[in-house]
Amino acid sequence: MAELNTDGLDPKLLEVLVCPISRGPLIYDPEASELVSQKAGVAYPIRDGVPIMLADEARELDPSEVTD
Amino acid sequence: MQNPTSEVFNRAQVRRRRERASAGYHQADFLKKRVLEDISDRLASTGRKFDRALCLGGYSAQTKEILGPFCGDLIETDFAQGRVGKGGLVADEEWLPFKDESFDLVVSPLALHWVNDLPGSLIQINRAMKPDGFFVGVLAGGASFTELRQSLLRAESELTGGAEMRVSPFADAADMSALLQRAGLALPVSDRDRLTIRYDTIFDVMRDLQALGETHAPAQGLGRPLRRDVLMRAAQIYASEFADADGRLRVTVDLIWVTGWAPHSSQPKPKRPGSAKVSMAEAVGTKELPAGDKAGR
Repeated sequence: MAELNTDGLDPKLLEVLVCPISRGPLIYDPEASELVSQKAGVAYPIRDGVPIMLADEARELDPSEVTD
Repeated sequence: MQNPTSEVFNRAQVRRRRERASAGYHQADFLKKRVLEDISDRLASTGRKFDRALCLGGYSAQTKEILGPFCGDLIETDFAQGRVGKGGLVADEEWLPFKDESFDLVVSPLALHWVNDLPGSLIQINRAMKPDGFFVGVLAGGASFTELRQSLLRAESELTGGAEMRVSPFADAADMSALLQRAGLALPVSDRDRLTIRYDTIFDVMRDLQALGETHAPAQGLGRPLRRDVLMRAAQIYASEFADADGRLRVTVDLIWVTGWAPHSSQPKPKRPGSAKVSMAEAVGTKELPAGDKAGR
């Protein structure tokens, strides 16, 4: 995992977040500014430092991105 | 996913309304301030400080200032991004994105009245709390906006021969106690706080509801738009039926307060039936009469 301070996302926030669809873990991708849920196969955007934890706003992962 | 026909609200529309109303929202935010202050009173009465706290829905710039003294870390959410500042997050109150047992405190100021699956939300809130975590929720309910509802219903049925629900259906305190219990919260308490807010005209009432993004968003969509003549007639009815002597209009807002605790072994529990060591008569300091006998003449 990359360092957590790139766009100021609070590590304490990351500690308590899970994917709202699968309740699986999230991986923070600071380059793409996303929180990735491998279990649900989606990535939640972080806009202006605010994670958008909504199924409607999540990006479906490309098959190549799924590590399984 | 739920069966869509069982839904009361169109959540996507609720969110769009909230987004659109984000900019002008602070002008009409007086009710949120009062609710937050009342929540802080309830937190003070527990005599505790809550290390990790969640404010679920109803994001407000005032929350940190008012609730901060009782909380260590405070995470704040809203359903609409336009409302949320840095450090907060956007979350759907029906799909919580939190690990189990994350929080010592969950508060929800004026957000849960837009939720379709209230039992589901309460169960998720319970799961997100650590054992002995405290939950305080406040939602608009009961007879809120009954004057507006009645004026619009009567005006519309008079002028068009039919009428639509133009004010949301609400939960009441009795419903909420049952739901809290069903969600597995311990020591559930629900009560109602009735406020009367006064306005000059029906248009001011509706303008504030719009500014808050709190206008009705039914799952089936709004049918016919509200006709201008209907609105004018509703304004007359409102002014004649629901005005005070000085001509200002009354708006009832019932705040439904719910509190409960995530279960913990330290909390008081009812004893098993039949396990009492003291008779009821002794406990209340009276004489026990044998069953079947008549009370003294």
